[in-house]
Amino acid sequence: MDEEQTAGYREPCGVCSAVDWGVSDEGRFYCRSCHNVIERTREVVDPTFTPGSSRISTIGRGTRTKRPERGRQWVICEGFQFILRNQANALLKLGVSPRFKDEVLCQLWRIYLQKSRQAYTNNPVRTATFKVRGQDSDSDSAAEMSVLSASETDGDTNASSTAGSIAGSSSDWSQCSGSLDAASYLSARLRRSRHGLMSMKKTLALLHLALVWIQEPLTLSDLLRLVNEGHVPYVNAYEELPEEMKLKGKDALIFRVESVPSHRAVHKEAQTLILFLQLPAFPPISQQSLLHPALLSLRYLMDANLPDDLHPWVCRVMECAGMADQALHTFNRLLRPVLPRYDLQTAALIIVTMKLVFGLDDHTEWDLSNEAADQDATGNAFSVRRWFRLVQTALTSAQRRREQHVARKQWTARKPLHPNSKKKCVVMKRKRIAEQLQICFEKLSSRPAGAEQDAPSSFRFCWGDGDGADGPSMHQQQLDAAVTLQRDVLTPSNSTYWHPSLRACKPRKCRSHYSAVEDTLPRSFVWLLRLFCFLLDVPPESLYEETLRTERRLTGHRRRRNREEEEGEERGTGRKRRKRRGKREEQGGRGGRGGGREKNREDVSMVTGVVTWNDHESEDEDAERTKTVWSDLGAANGR
Amino acid sequence: MDDLQRELLEDLDDDSDSSDGNSSKGSKKSKLPLVNPMCAETPKETGFHQSTRVCLEQIREALLHHRWQEAAEYMACYPQMLEDPTNGTGQPYKELIWRISTEILHHHPNSKMEDYNNIYERMKHSGVRHYLMICLEHSFHLLLIGHIEDAKHQLSVAESWRHGKESAAQYQRIKLIHAYRSLLDYIIWCDKKFTRSNTEYPDSGDNQDMHNYFRQASVNLKEILKNPGVWDPFILSYVEMLEFYEDHEEALKVLNDYAYDSTFPPNPNAHVYLYQYLKRHDTSERKLMKVLKILHVLVPSHELMLEYSSLLLQSEKRSDIQKALGVVMEMLDFACWRSNLDVWERLKSIIQKLQLQEDWKDVVSGQMAARKDWWPALHFTSFHASKDSEENPELMKVKAPLTKILCPDLMLKYTASQVTSGE
Repeated sequence: MDEEQTAGYREPCGVCSAVDWGVSDEGRFYCRSCHNVIERTREVVDPTFTPGSSRISTIGRGTRTKRPERGRQWVICEGFQFILRNQANALLKLGVSPRFKDEVLCQLWRIYLQKSRQAYTNNPVRTATFKVRGQDSDSDSAAEMSVLSASETDGDTNASSTAGSIAGSSSDWSQCSGSLDAASYLSARLRRSRHGLMSMKKTLALLHLALVWIQEPLTLSDLLRLVNEGHVPYVNAYEELPEEMKLKGKDALIFRVESVPSHRAVHKEAQTLILFLQLPAFPPISQQSLLHPALLSLRYLMDANLPDDLHPWVCRVMECAGMADQALHTFNRLLRPVLPRYDLQTAALIIVTMKLVFGLDDHTEWDLSNEAADQDATGNAFSVRRWFRLVQTALTSAQRRREQHVARKQWTARKPLHPNSKKKCVVMKRKRIAEQLQICFEKLSSRPAGAEQDAPSSFRFCWGDGDGADGPSMHQQQLDAAVTLQRDVLTPSNSTYWHPSLRACKPRKCRSHYSAVEDTLPRSFVWLLRLFCFLLDVPPESLYEETLRTERRLTGHRRRRNREEEEGEERGTGRKRRKRRGKREEQGGRGGRGGGREKNREDVSMVTGVVTWNDHESEDEDAERTKTVWSDLGAANGR
Repeated sequence: MDDLQRELLEDLDDDSDSSDGNSSKGSKKSKLPLVNPMCAETPKETGFHQSTRVCLEQIREALLHHRWQEAAEYMACYPQMLEDPTNGTGQPYKELIWRISTEILHHHPNSKMEDYNNIYERMKHSGVRHYLMICLEHSFHLLLIGHIEDAKHQLSVAESWRHGKESAAQYQRIKLIHAYRSLLDYIIWCDKKFTRSNTEYPDSGDNQDMHNYFRQASVNLKEILKNPGVWDPFILSYVEMLEFYEDHEEALKVLNDYAYDSTFPPNPNAHVYLYQYLKRHDTSERKLMKVLKILHVLVPSHELMLEYSSLLLQSEKRSDIQKALGVVMEMLDFACWRSNLDVWERLKSIIQKLQLQEDWKDVVSGQMAARKDWWPALHFTSFHASKDSEENPELMKVKAPLTKILCPDLMLKYTASQVTSGE
């Protein structure tokens, strides 16, 4: 009982040096061997206590000499280290490979400390008298990282021993609280002289990099979802710091979190970080890797309740767009210094495939559904209409659930942090009032505040016949109506493919044009976009841009070059390109048909009349290109 | 240093979502006054603010649809708004939380008095600005469920509350608190009076007790009633107590001040109370008529005008009969008296008395001159005839002969078939 109450308070008694604490009836701590009573008291939490209803007031007699709480000296990066450790432990608990923490994240963290000259360096960044490590190791190169197998981040190391080793001797229990270097950390931040300093957002970026390194099938959107749902500590993560590490004053500015950063923001951060760390080439992400679109798309198809039969088509589109190559998906500082966005790329591939097979121009997909309904003898043909109705219902209720989750989410910390210590009592008072109101309404509604934690899952939806499923599964259904066998080659019956203007934007000046063109896009396409945006929890702009990027790849490089030239001309004449949306239709070639060539040309020249592209020549080439895509596709499925 | 921190905070905010294109960015700002800017989504919103905004929207929806249970559930999640780390926006939310919370408590089936007490106490102490208002509301709620002593206690606490400089608004509220506290004294006084009248031998202790309440209330009320304003219920209770202790001078003075002090807003009730008081104490008719004359100017359609006209009718002066005619006809200008039998009968008796004078026709036509073109439409159409004959034949009998006298040169349709047959 006492053991619980003393909450592992393990300091030796000041009189007899024994560590044997008990708690008296008044809640005070006393030494059981010498009966010395110390200042420390057990905090009694009584939620039913309501100050103000009792009529007791105390008149203070000046300030009592306050003895500051004991804390040890610590630096900001130690705090982040603990937070990272907690995050990594949470991920391990969720089933991430055990190599993740010690072999990958820990190494990355060490590289980070070294590169940002916060540790493992002869030339530390701080001017503070505080020394990070007694030994000045010769750890200049990344190759020697593995030599340092110190177990700082390992779970079994307890905090006080680390404290001892870092502070040098245990007599250094200082009277100060708060981190040592918050002020210098912040001023350095302000100067923006280096981007290397740690931030809460960067912890997520670091986790993401580590996850990519060991090829865990956790994409960035998955990670952010786990963070959002509270399975990985992020909001108020500082509360889990060891007791001796007191946060105070400016620490609040560094550790307090008011948002879970967006997909885009973390990706950007990770991209900067990866360059900052100068990491060697990542292990190649082959087709067998779960991060590769080839396998990731399977998961997304399942989550969207699309038939498995679509997967070969996705793979073909991927190959035609040149996205099967593992080099494209593997970060390499020298060859490909861009961190791929696996989740967005895969979703874009699926969207392009859907457009290819079903048209998604607000006509073709419904016609195909009608045909599917007509021909359907076995009841096993995939119909876009049925799928849309099913998923739309589930999507609406899932969106409502998510909204409720957002509304119920509690952000405030148990131990509020405020940069201004003078205002601390105000903050504490507000906190108390808020808590009591919350308790009052919790009692009234007999439902606890805060969002319910669902069990973590890779899937947003659950399709099947079981309890709690969002609807019947359509995974086994066949694409009979949408895909026909022509000359022993499976070919989509849909023969047209539309896409918006594919001109590349100026990389820095232009932002997404999605909001401008959204109203002109076919509704079914926008709906599909929004479905995947919901699955990945990204704004539609990002996915739209990614889809365009995939379409650009699909139509080839030469086209892009032409477009750039054209854009240069356009800019000269001052035409607004964003207004012009080229909804162009290309006549897809019938795969493997010999005599189709002439007809294609005719069709295309006919179509180019309504197309906004200027150069007919490139149009033809485009058609040619698309045709080859089709024939490739057909060949792939015919085999 | 503060600038530094602000910049830092902005810097930290920047990290959040700045790069996500926002479709609402381009939309123009409306020039119309926004109903509730508190709920607006801002382009750079932190997750915390998003949560509280969405939560408030959910509460609002639930309240509008009377889903009190759901509202209470979300309300449990909302108080974190009070801990908003960005400073300076706390105030409106406190009021919001206070009002929404009590609204939910009013309707939730499981709400108990202790919940009310809890919420009121919490919100009172969350800031100084609403302290007095919440105290007042709290005591109103206690009154509503009959806890008069508790309500009085609340007000006494509020009375003794001081915080820094009293702003103008708080000064007004303190006066209100004083007034209501005295009103509660009066209510308790009434209770004591009632129990005393029921017991056969009231002992002096009870009397003393009762008198204490009177004294407490009167001291405050006397002060309060000096302030210009509309104090109707307070005046009534004060006068009642004064009457009970037979302090007629003071009572009359209070009522006179209330009615005739020009700094007070014009208040017909003040004259009504004065009239009723004077009438209770058998004052002369002249004085009564004087009060009613002023009331007549303020509210010509007041129901006391019937009494005024009867007083005028009883007087001996000739001009008073003409005045009475004017008063009653002015009453009939108002649609609310249109089918009132008493008023028409009064008009009839006035005209009958007037007819004793020689120039009565001139007097009547003088009064009717301005009404000639619209009274027929207001009172004497065939529709009125059929309606009156159906609903109120008595009225028909009074009204019909009067038409001839009031509008002798007009052919009115009020004298419809039934009436002519009656003649």
